[in-house]
Amino acid sequence: MFKFQDFDGKILALRAEMTAPVARIATTRMTTVPEPIRLFYVSNVFRYSQSYVERGREFWQAGVELIGCNTSEADGEILSLLISSLRKVGLKEVRVDVGHASLLKDLLKATALDEEKRDTLQDLLAYRDEARLEKFMDQNNFPSKLREAFLQLSCCRRLGEVSSISLDSLEYAKADDPLRTLLDIKDVLADYGVENLVFFDFSLTRKIEYYTGIVFEASVPNLGLPLGGGGRYDDFIEKFGKLKLPATGFALEIEKCLQALTAQGFQIPEKAKAKILVSSKFRNAAIKAVSILRDVGVVALLDVTKNDRKKTVEYAKLAGIDYVVFVGSPLEKPATVYDLRSGVSMNVMIETFLQRVGGES
Amino acid sequence: MKRKIRIAIPSKGRLKQPSIQVLQRAGVNILEEERAYVSKTSDARFEAIFARAFDIPIYVHYGTVDLGITGHDLILERKADVHELLDLRFGKCQLVVAAPENSKICSINDIPAVTRVATEYPNLSRKYFEGLGKQVEILGVRGTSELAPKLGLAQIIVDVSSSGETLRKNSLKVIATILDSTCRLACNKIAYRTFENEINEFLGRLWQGGPK
Repeated sequence: MFKFQDFDGKILALRAEMTAPVARIATTRMTTVPEPIRLFYVSNVFRYSQSYVERGREFWQAGVELIGCNTSEADGEILSLLISSLRKVGLKEVRVDVGHASLLKDLLKATALDEEKRDTLQDLLAYRDEARLEKFMDQNNFPSKLREAFLQLSCCRRLGEVSSISLDSLEYAKADDPLRTLLDIKDVLADYGVENLVFFDFSLTRKIEYYTGIVFEASVPNLGLPLGGGGRYDDFIEKFGKLKLPATGFALEIEKCLQALTAQGFQIPEKAKAKILVSSKFRNAAIKAVSILRDVGVVALLDVTKNDRKKTVEYAKLAGIDYVVFVGSPLEKPATVYDLRSGVSMNVMIETFLQRVGGES
Repeated sequence: MKRKIRIAIPSKGRLKQPSIQVLQRAGVNILEEERAYVSKTSDARFEAIFARAFDIPIYVHYGTVDLGITGHDLILERKADVHELLDLRFGKCQLVVAAPENSKICSINDIPAVTRVATEYPNLSRKYFEGLGKQVEILGVRGTSELAPKLGLAQIIVDVSSSGETLRKNSLKVIATILDSTCRLACNKIAYRTFENEINEFLGRLWQGGPK
């Protein structure tokens, strides 16, 4: 995070993500708004990037939060909204992979390992190195049921497959709740018709401290990095106020979505508006003409210099302007339109010209 | 049709030949090794990319390649968030702290404050010394950090050592081990989702031909 000092020594920081600002707003300014509250944002955030590809520090995110509800329906809505958002921007072959923070936390607790070894185990799960995972569990004398649970969960790819896993016999049996939740969410997703796009991924072990329920990330095959993600964070909002509010949401990285679109061969349409410079000896007529041109939706600039025609055209060429229009007075007289792309100039009625550029934009 | 699966192989050094052999055992033969950075292989689904072992973790992290053979030490040093699907068991080495043989520094505890450390592994070194609460000055160098103590650039170095030969030649002694490493098969996390069947089948063949 970018941090610096205010004049009185207080620490200031640039927001690195939007969930914290949203949580603050929800607990301080929206206390009378009935729950659940649905919020969205499109915003810039600031992060150190260790990327060797992009050197920027400012990133744009689009995200949503559903606050004040902890049902599977709420999680399902967020997941299906994530998928439909990505499809809406034109991405194909979107998929979402879902893990569960409490499930992992409960199982890690059940291992009774010290913190360092838990970190190792978490890394091994993230690495998907089965051989080393098995070896690690053998070395640390995992009970066979627990060993089995870790291996089975690593192999699960569908939310439905977790139904075959039973954690009942483990001493720490609370972990059954997350499995139930995953199955419920699967049913909700089926009703949205997106069940087949959502997968289970036990290797999503990063950032689980912050989340309390499902964690997920969205991806497409053409880009090697996730497009965004999110999860359920029921213990986070209370840090900003007195209210304890369950919440779930996601954020999409807009630059990554653009990269993915490009990688999928999507052409981002360029809708450049015509740029017109209006020049006249008659200021009154020129100001009127600019106003009329702007009304049809083109970019119109008033020539405020007192340059001659030649110089005006030269300037227009360098400034990337499409047409220079020399209007007479009154405006109803034909105007001289200089087309900088073709280099042709002609005398036309301003209405005729309007129709032409109006149609172009 | 799905695109080809790209696998990165170290382009030089001690990891290159064993990497090519591992692929051969899995039935993937490099066809144009000498000529190209990108090579066709005998398995039409795979193409091989030759790259610096040090850069391969980054390539895999960003999905420029789907799979990569590189050291565990390098994956950690480059902070690459990747799957490590398989320990290939060759390229065994240790990341060690070394000091000149005639130096008074014989253990980590002997390292005075603000000691200069020359290393190709600034990230892992920083983490290690921070973990010990030792204040040191890390100097990132490219290659031959062994020379640094001789030239007076640094008092100690952090470098990988497999046999200890290079350290001995340069009159250096190991005073601590930071990490044990071997070569790994790294995989981009999203490529693993896209190509799970192909990659698992490839893994199966690696096991059979196996390092086990």
